[in-house]
Amino acid sequence: MPERVAIVGVGYSDVRSTTPGLSYKEMMYEAAVRAYADAGVNPRKDVDSFICVSEDFWEGTSIFDEYVPDQLGGALRPVHTVTGDGIHALACAAMLIRTGRARIVVVEGHSKHSDIRTPHHIHNFAFDPIYHRPLGAHPYHLAGLEMNRFLHVSGNTREQCALVVRKNLTNALLNPRAVYGAEVSLEDVLGAPPAFTPLGELDIARPADGGFVMVVAAESVVDDLAGEPVWITGYGWCTGASAVDSRQWGEAVYARLAAEQAYRMAGITNPFQDLDFAEIDDSFSYKELEHLEALRLCRPGEAGTLLEEGVTLPSGEFPVNVSGGSLGVGHLLEATGLHRVYEVVLQLRGQAGPIQLAEVERGLAQSWRNLPTTTGCVIILERS
Amino acid sequence: MREKLTNPEDVRTWPGTIPVEYVYTAGVAGEAYLRAIKERGCLAASTCPDCNIDYLPPRLYCERCFAKTDEPRDVAARGVVETFTVAHRDLDGRPLEPPVIYAFVRIAGTAGGLIHRLGDVEPGDVHIGLEVEAVFRPPAERVGSILDIEHFKPVG
Repeated sequence: MPERVAIVGVGYSDVRSTTPGLSYKEMMYEAAVRAYADAGVNPRKDVDSFICVSEDFWEGTSIFDEYVPDQLGGALRPVHTVTGDGIHALACAAMLIRTGRARIVVVEGHSKHSDIRTPHHIHNFAFDPIYHRPLGAHPYHLAGLEMNRFLHVSGNTREQCALVVRKNLTNALLNPRAVYGAEVSLEDVLGAPPAFTPLGELDIARPADGGFVMVVAAESVVDDLAGEPVWITGYGWCTGASAVDSRQWGEAVYARLAAEQAYRMAGITNPFQDLDFAEIDDSFSYKELEHLEALRLCRPGEAGTLLEEGVTLPSGEFPVNVSGGSLGVGHLLEATGLHRVYEVVLQLRGQAGPIQLAEVERGLAQSWRNLPTTTGCVIILERS
Repeated sequence: MREKLTNPEDVRTWPGTIPVEYVYTAGVAGEAYLRAIKERGCLAASTCPDCNIDYLPPRLYCERCFAKTDEPRDVAARGVVETFTVAHRDLDGRPLEPPVIYAFVRIAGTAGGLIHRLGDVEPGDVHIGLEVEAVFRPPAERVGSILDIEHFKPVG
């Protein structure tokens, strides 16, 4: 029986709209120092392996994985990079520990979005170079296409998407890590300039800078460490087709299949009953509703109703994105999933301060690798 | 540990660009598609003999069962708007005036389709399920690109 695995330390470099005072290396160092202090580990002696997530074009440096060891305390130690979301890396860390090859693994992800001068061109560069990119469209046209089809097939409404924006921006007002908290009305969201209809300007998560580091450990060493453990009991990930012609427009199949893997591993049969809360992808307003349904937290077509009835509010039966989500906190590129996990860890430890939920035992974090991908990750975290 | 700085130009930064250029190989199936567009003013699809699924653009292999597909065949460039959006921003985020309509067009008689512009129609008249057909550039101006299609327009 492989060992149980826990997150025993978390740290972050402040989430901000711009970070001109620190280089990405210094941001990583700052997050790492906090995570190691939280876990009570010395990276030069105690950590067996380091895993980072990054994407060369966001960093502006090819073979970027060469640039990560020293600021994490990982020089001349086992280090590798996953070109995926932070939850991909957490799953790798858990598996590395369960093989017996490592006992303590560090996971890192960051966003230095404010350094990127042409982010939409990088996004566009992810489109199929022959069949799609020549159109020269802003990458978010794909979100407009997705949203329109999702609303059409699911029966959720444009107004319910606006409610997602209002909920998450309001939630963010109380979260010290959130950049974009605001009081907005439905009229503000619906009346914002159209961007890629039915998507409006306020339906789009804005980018932010920030970095996250987590220390993951085997059960056999958890008692020797200072950090309060939060157990990783399930994970899954999945990628669909890159081609726009064979993707399922209107349904987040990747999230459904990733969740199935994670639920099976964690022994979850009824996610809504078995889980207490979730931090899920809301990079665009409709995505929160689409992902709620894909994660089987409600039936297809019912996510908007759940929202209207207040079920997913912080005070509701199943809070979703109490942190403010990516709409309220800011989108953190490949570190986005790690941010969601960070929020879940704080909640389960009872350390979430002004946004603390009462009596939460088990939470879910989910990520989507943003446009134009069909890649999703799910992780289940538990207090005991 | 850090000063309060909000303007990136206040501290020293180094501006950099990455000049990257490629030629993308279309491949066996991709060339069949681009040649159909350029030479015959139509599209092309390939069929998985086991799953009986028609891929458009054509592919050499079936993503469902991994079998090799049949030779690409010509397909008329018409279909149905499966979803659409009206884009108000260009690639650099600047306002697009007039806005551009993009649609995913499911090509009739296939399981495939493509994203392209819609033209000869007002945004308010577009709906999911609208039947559309491609408007090709004159043969002499085609180069073997999806841009040999100017846009899709409502049928009739």
